[in-house]
This record gives sequence, structure tokens and C-alpha cells, in this order.
Amino acid sequence: MNFKLNSNPGPKRHVVPAFGETPIFSRGDRVRVLNRSPIGHYRVPIYLRGRAGVVERVLEPRQLDNEREGFGLNAGDKRHYYRVVFSLQELWPGYAGSPSDNLRIEVFETWLERI
Amino acid sequence: MTTHPGSAGDGQHPPHDHDHDHDHDHDHPHAPIAQETEPSYFELMETAIRELLVERKLFGPDEIRRQIEVLDSRTPALGAKVVARAWVDPSFREKLLENGREACEEFGISFYDDTELIVLENTEAVHNLIVCTLCSCYPRPVLGLPPDWYKARNYRARAVIEPRKVLAEFGTFIPDEVEVRVSDSTAAVRFLVLPMRPAGTDHYDEEQLASLVTRDAMIGVIPVRTGQETA
Amino acid sequence: MSQTENLVNRLPNDIGGLGAGQIEMTDHELLPWEKRCHALADVLDFHKIINTEEKRRGVEALGTELVGKLSYYERWIVAFANILFQKRILAPEHLAVKMDEVQKRLRDEAARAARAGL
Repeated sequence: MNFKLNSNPGPKRHVVPAFGETPIFSRGDRVRVLNRSPIGHYRVPIYLRGRAGVVERVLEPRQLDNEREGFGLNAGDKRHYYRVVFSLQELWPGYAGSPSDNLRIEVFETWLERI
Repeated sequence: MTTHPGSAGDGQHPPHDHDHDHDHDHDHPHAPIAQETEPSYFELMETAIRELLVERKLFGPDEIRRQIEVLDSRTPALGAKVVARAWVDPSFREKLLENGREACEEFGISFYDDTELIVLENTEAVHNLIVCTLCSCYPRPVLGLPPDWYKARNYRARAVIEPRKVLAEFGTFIPDEVEVRVSDSTAAVRFLVLPMRPAGTDHYDEEQLASLVTRDAMIGVIPVRTGQETA
Repeated sequence: MSQTENLVNRLPNDIGGLGAGQIEMTDHELLPWEKRCHALADVLDFHKIINTEEKRRGVEALGTELVGKLSYYERWIVAFANILFQKRILAPEHLAVKMDEVQKRLRDEAARAARAGL
């Protein structure tokens, strides 16, 4: 098959992404982990609840919500996970290491808000 | 650091009960794996569940055996080969840092699960270590099964709050000007530390380099040293 | 937050940052049944009979006492039993009967081997 290449832009303007398809956050965004307290199953540790960090990267491809996957959802809605950086000095009062020390962890999109 | 892998013929440690009240991940060595020993309650449970599911045709009779072979084929030696290749081949290193799983697959290491791999490069400025506070996530396809201490409470609880003290317990001291990065796995990504190549190894070939790289260096709790025994 | 609320909304495995002691750098070679149990987990995940996340949740659901007192693979196999019951793949009676059958079979085999002087 031969497609004629030209300098016209692609169809992006006319393409509507599905709900949840486009990542809400980008690398460098300041985000806060929500203060939700689920029971039964969660993958956001309590030590992170309500804490602020910076998005290091958007993880691709989208994945299932692991809180639901834990109850048998093997297919369906997928959203992005983000690798978020947290300063250890900010996370832990009296942190004795270097001020540049940090923690990086994956967080599901529905757990984050922009700050 | 001491490791006590169970070994056949080591008659020093008698079987014992596991009813201590602490997070129990076999903190102590086991009796030798003698088939004459009465199977434990949990071994009976495992055998019964497996046989019931095979009877119900939920999976085939050979699948468990095959998966054991898969698991046995995944050892730190694989990860060590990846590290050695990254040290000698800049384009492989670049590919590895861009997409760890793809680079390993092209290298010949298949990933039998749905995990992705991010390779974390240690430099003069940054030291990485990996942990899974919530369970025991670990890059199994490329490193094999994790050691007990990695799965046990103390490492998991402390690596995210006092990584430098944890590293010190392994004999690793990171200068203040070096940034310590702790990666806590919670989802589909797994991590492998690409340790720094030690000085004095310019003349080493890839095989010799790989023999220096230990499991614990790829977890990030110790550096790679020359003359060190492979874990 | 009361102590009982804490027990419910902090999962027993959520220990990041909590107080803990010196790291005991021990390891052990997996017993054959433990390795079979690990292989079973992988096969169950491949077939999406019990996916890995369901296994994690099942282990968490054992609660603090069992999570503290059972070993790593002991937690897995009990979690698998519970999940298989919930999914109606097995019933408790099936497992109990089978476990007795397996135990009897293994004892008979051991007795035969002993009589044969092995």
C-alpha cells in the first residue's frame, strides 16, 4: 500500500479521545495524594495519604484500578498510573538523611489531585 | 551478612513449629527437605487444592511442573548478565533505561507476567534501592525469587523512612552529597538497580563482569565489589 | 481514630514507616511445596482464575493475627482456599475431604516405602 506523504497535519484535531484515555497529569506536575481511607483493599500506603509530590513520569500503557482488580476485575476501565516523587525530608518529621533523598512510587490517577 | 540457604544433609536444625508472634517469613533456617517428613498441614492444603483444580480441568496437570521449571530458570545470574551487558554496550544500556522489559526480552529474558520493568541507574550522584512495603513485588522474571529479608517486616517498614540506616546495616554507607532514591512498588512496574561498575575492571570481559554482580547489588543494598562472591 | 477503626482501615501489610527492628538477613531455600505453591499462584494468574491482585487482597483479608503468625506461602495457600470458596469453584467440604484423602495416601505410601526398607 502506498500512502502519499505530505506536510498536512494528522487528524488529531478531529479525533476525540475516550474518557480516561488521556492522562490528566504530566511529568513535573505537583500533585497531592487524596486523603481517602478505603477498607478491604488499597495500594496507596497510609504514609502517603494527603502528601504532596511531583510527577516523575506517566506510566504507559493504562492499567486496571488495582483496588478493583483485587476483587476480580480482570478487564475494563483503565486509567494511568503515575510515578510520583516525594521528598523524604517532607514525608518524615526529623528525617536524618540528606535533604535530596526521595521516594518514588506508582499512584493510580483517581488517587491524585493537582496542586 | 549471613545467609542460611537450606541444604540437603544439613542436619543441624530440627523441624519446629511456627507459632511465634511476629511477621513470619522464615527468619530461621529450615530442616533439610526430606521426603520422609510428614507433610505439614499447609502442604496438604496445597496438594489438595492443586489436585482438585486439575480434576476440575481449571488447568492442565503439567502446568505446575512447567512453571516450576520457569521459576528455577530465573536466578540473579540473569540480572547479572543484563548489568554486565549494560556496562559494556552503551546502546543496550540506553535501551534498558528506556524500556527495561523490552530490552530484557530482546536480550532473551521472557517476561511471563504482565509486569513492566524500570531499570534504575546508580551514579556518582544517585543511589537507588528498591522495596515493596505492601507485599513483596520484585523483578522475578529477571532476578528469580526474593530473599526472605526483602519480604519481611523490618526491611519493608524501614526502607522508606530511614534508607541510609538500612543501607548501613548491609555495610553500605552513602555520602550525604549523594541522593538516595527509594522505589516502593505498588502496581505493575518492577524495578532493577543498575549498579555502578567498580573501578579496576576495564580489562574484564562481560562474563567476568557478570560474575561480580550480586542479587543484593541489583536490589540496591550493596555496591558491586571486585573479588566478591556471587550471591 | 480508635484502635478498632485502625485495625480496619490500616491493612495488616501496610507497614511502611512503622517502627521495626534490625534487619535479619536470612533466607531459605524454598521447600518443594512452597515452590509448588508459588507456581500455583502463577498458573492461577495466567488463567485469571485468581489474579495476583486478588491474591494480595486475599492475604490481607486473613487479618492481622494470621498475617503475623503464618509464613509467607502458608498465607498464600489459605488465601487461595478462601478465594476459591468465594468464587464457588470449591466448597469447604471438597477441600476438607481431599486433604484427608491426600494425607491418608501419603501415609500409606510412606508405610509401604518403610516396609520395603527404602
